[in-house]
Amino acid sequence: MTATVTPATTGSAAATDTGSGVLRALTRHRGRLIVACAAVALVLGAVFLGAGNWPASLSVDLSGPLKSTSDWIIDNRDGHPLFLYFLGHVSNAVVVSVRAVYLVLLALGWAGVTAAATLVAWRVAGVRLALTSLAAFAVCGVLGMWVPTMQTLALMVVAVAASVLLGGLLGLAAGLSDRMHRVLRPVLDTMQVLPAFAYLLPVVLVFGIGVPAAVLATVIYAAPPMARLTALGLRDADAGVMEAATSLGATGRQRLLTARLPLARKELLLGVNQSIMMALGMAVIASVIGAGGLGDRVYQALASVDVGAALAAGVPIVLLAIVLDRVTAAAGERIGAAPAHRSRLGWAIAAAATAAVALGTRLADALTWPDGWTLDIAEPVNRAVDWMTAHLYSGVPVVGGTADWAGHFTTWVLNPLRSGLQWLPWWAVLLTIGVLALLIGTWRTAVTAVLAMAAIGVLGVWDPALDTLSQVLAAVAVTLLVGVALGVASARSNRLGRALRPVLDVFQTMPQFVYLIPVVALFGVGRAPAVAAAVVYALPAVVRITAQGVRAVNPAAMESSRSLGATGRQQLLQVQLPLARPALLLAVNQGVVLVLAVVVIGGLVGGGALGYDAVFGLAQGDLATGLVAGAAIVCLGLMLDRVTQPTQRRDLAGKGA
Amino acid sequence: MNTPPHTATAPQTTATAESVFSVRDLWKVFGPKAERVPADQELRGLDPAELRERTGCTAAVRDVSFDVRKGEVFVVMGLSGSGKSTLVRCLTRLIEPTSGTVSIDGEDVLSMDTGRLRELRRHRAAMVFQHFGLLPHRTVLDNVAYGLEIQGVGRGERRERAAEFVTQVGLDGMEDRRPSQLSGGQQQRVGLARALAVDPEVLLFDEPFSALDPLIRRDMQEEVVRLHQDEGRTMVFITHDLSEALKLGDRIALMRDGRIVQLGTPEEIVGAPADDYVRDFVRDVPREQVLTVRSAMRPALGDEREAGPALAPSATVHEAIEAVARTGENARVVEGGRCLGVVDHAGLLGVVAGVPAAADKAVA
Repeated sequence: MTATVTPATTGSAAATDTGSGVLRALTRHRGRLIVACAAVALVLGAVFLGAGNWPASLSVDLSGPLKSTSDWIIDNRDGHPLFLYFLGHVSNAVVVSVRAVYLVLLALGWAGVTAAATLVAWRVAGVRLALTSLAAFAVCGVLGMWVPTMQTLALMVVAVAASVLLGGLLGLAAGLSDRMHRVLRPVLDTMQVLPAFAYLLPVVLVFGIGVPAAVLATVIYAAPPMARLTALGLRDADAGVMEAATSLGATGRQRLLTARLPLARKELLLGVNQSIMMALGMAVIASVIGAGGLGDRVYQALASVDVGAALAAGVPIVLLAIVLDRVTAAAGERIGAAPAHRSRLGWAIAAAATAAVALGTRLADALTWPDGWTLDIAEPVNRAVDWMTAHLYSGVPVVGGTADWAGHFTTWVLNPLRSGLQWLPWWAVLLTIGVLALLIGTWRTAVTAVLAMAAIGVLGVWDPALDTLSQVLAAVAVTLLVGVALGVASARSNRLGRALRPVLDVFQTMPQFVYLIPVVALFGVGRAPAVAAAVVYALPAVVRITAQGVRAVNPAAMESSRSLGATGRQQLLQVQLPLARPALLLAVNQGVVLVLAVVVIGGLVGGGALGYDAVFGLAQGDLATGLVAGAAIVCLGLMLDRVTQPTQRRDLAGKGA
Repeated sequence: MNTPPHTATAPQTTATAESVFSVRDLWKVFGPKAERVPADQELRGLDPAELRERTGCTAAVRDVSFDVRKGEVFVVMGLSGSGKSTLVRCLTRLIEPTSGTVSIDGEDVLSMDTGRLRELRRHRAAMVFQHFGLLPHRTVLDNVAYGLEIQGVGRGERRERAAEFVTQVGLDGMEDRRPSQLSGGQQQRVGLARALAVDPEVLLFDEPFSALDPLIRRDMQEEVVRLHQDEGRTMVFITHDLSEALKLGDRIALMRDGRIVQLGTPEEIVGAPADDYVRDFVRDVPREQVLTVRSAMRPALGDEREAGPALAPSATVHEAIEAVARTGENARVVEGGRCLGVVDHAGLLGVVAGVPAAADKAVA
């Protein structure tokens, strides 16, 4: 790297050379070293620690203190100053604002809301999306889900507004101050990988079940992406433009308002888009803690395995998700294009038309969705499901049936995996996790992963956690197998890639909760459907990341291998996959995080384990059990993320004299 | 510092009164504890590699002194990494200098408080950037008006004034476009108009045309020449392109590793390179187009004073060759009716060949 070494420093340079030489050798044989150490530790562990589950002496029973805490909170909710003067106001403000938005939506009437949605979509995203949102709202009404849709929408509006504000402020702080950025980034990173379910219990502990808890859980869940993207946008503002603004004598305030914020508009809008999608996902899941609306309908229907009713509520969720995502994304894409002429006039027309429609329906006294226009799909769907249960569940010649598949999967994959994991001595589990994390990441991620796993043992939920882990592992294996294959295939074949794109788009916008409906219809309840839902949920991301990674392989490398006469197979194995390694590792990481989120929700459809504990805790008011399960979910999420987190190791070879 | 007469002292004696920017002993060091480098006599003398090894610092500008005279085009030229962009940013403290002094119209820039410095940037020195630095979300007109907006000029007035400058740089009819809809050359015209709109005392150009195609670059260079002829505004022009420097510069400061290795008129740089580096640099320059007949001239002998075509002393050698070739006689260099000397085949060929010895011998 450096050109000249003066005689005076030759000695020290040589010394660092030999020093870095040893380090370099260490780095080169790092993998072998780790495995050797692990083998030694394995033998030592077998001799000194023996086999067996997490030892009782190392665990702490938290149920007592947690119970008394939750009792204290319940007792003091009406009296203690903290609740009286702070949390009480928060809770009231939430209730009042959700109520206010809901009343506005009611006052607009179904026609007014639909008109407003359509016209807004028309203004920001064009005619096609306007028609899409018109159709989407109409379907919500036709399915008889108008009122729950409005409830969900009201909750969403408040939650999104709050999380955009909160996330935006945090992002502003992190974008302008390096210290805030250093503090916030790891927190936001971690929040991003935790399953939605983990957020429910703490807010319930403080606010009790109800709308305030649901809204606040949603806000907490949806704010991080906004904060991250805001910070990213502000930090990445074109340095040349910022310098130009400074050179013209702009004050700090002018620089922020006229240059830095406008330059970050794309990221800000993307942040809003992400926040909305996260909020929708959470608003639906939060039905477990009293959010009401569409999610509640799905939740109730799933509890009684009424697939038809679940579908009737699930379809509006999906439509809402698609409309919200596409419209906000289109708004983001339009930025930077030429300003639309007469845009103010267009908005005025839109507003006037909405007012006219709303007024019209009010005068016609048709504010509620007309009863005659609804279509009950629950019954036909249930009939279809019954028919499926009768004909497809089992005994189909040659292929078997869906229930048979689920049974086989449970018997031959899930059960052996679970008993295998639970048979492993506890220290062997920790050792494996540590070694894996070391091989993929750094010692820092390894330490975090091992500590997180150990915390699960300490919490006393070792067995259910391993049960959840076995489901996660099985689901991840299937997801990666199918996802990488599909990803590689779609990267190599343009036609497949084009065919898959719209499917992936739709699948990626759907909230986690919705995936439970079809799998219950197909596989009934149990652990296998939970795994299936997780696979379907995680698959699009894995396919997409893999395809992007393979496609982004340097064309020059591909060309040179082709010019050397490599076959397609050789190209794939020797060039594309090795060069796409970072993308593949990212796909694994994302797959694991997404799978865990749904496996935990699978507790609602008989997935058991930690997810069930959390739901049970909520349903029975047994917050101690629920909170312990929630904490274990957090730890599991942390562990899985850290183990699979590929971090750039410091390049020792590059550090010469 | 091979050429002390060329750097600090010469301009100081000739042009103290009329200098706009006056820079003395300026240092900019990047790295940990940068301020110790200019202060330490030993560290000051180290070459860049040694300095980095000893201190972990990089000296981008090393002990630079010069004056920018009123109304001139002062070109700072050097290869990438020579410190020229850092130097121009030190003038308005976009980069804070490590030590030395910078003054504008006799006022110390480094001791200015935030408000005063802002005033300097708003009204006295405007900069044109290599990568334009335009706001992508604003129209051309609003970009040009941006400097005025920062000064607090009202919307109507600033747009009116901006429109004039849009016309002046030849972007009529494009007021409502976004920067992304313009070509590189057009974007830089916007950048130029934005700088002109605040009516600054000095225009600073940081490699403004190096991102442009050669043909457009020539257009823009001519635009700058025209602007300078029309208004006589002082300009500091940074470039890595020697031909651009020779074309635009009244005086050129040639930088290498943070130091000014030679400062002089284009003719001095090409005709009398201060060291091997500069000589190497200007080797491929068509010398006959830069040097004037003065450098090829010898005293007139006998009746040479009377015959042959007459040339002004500022005529280039190229023009002299043409005259000599056309008439077949030696040309006279005439100033105010007085014959200063003559140029003959030998002198002219000596200039073209880069062998000034022949001319010197003739003079001697």
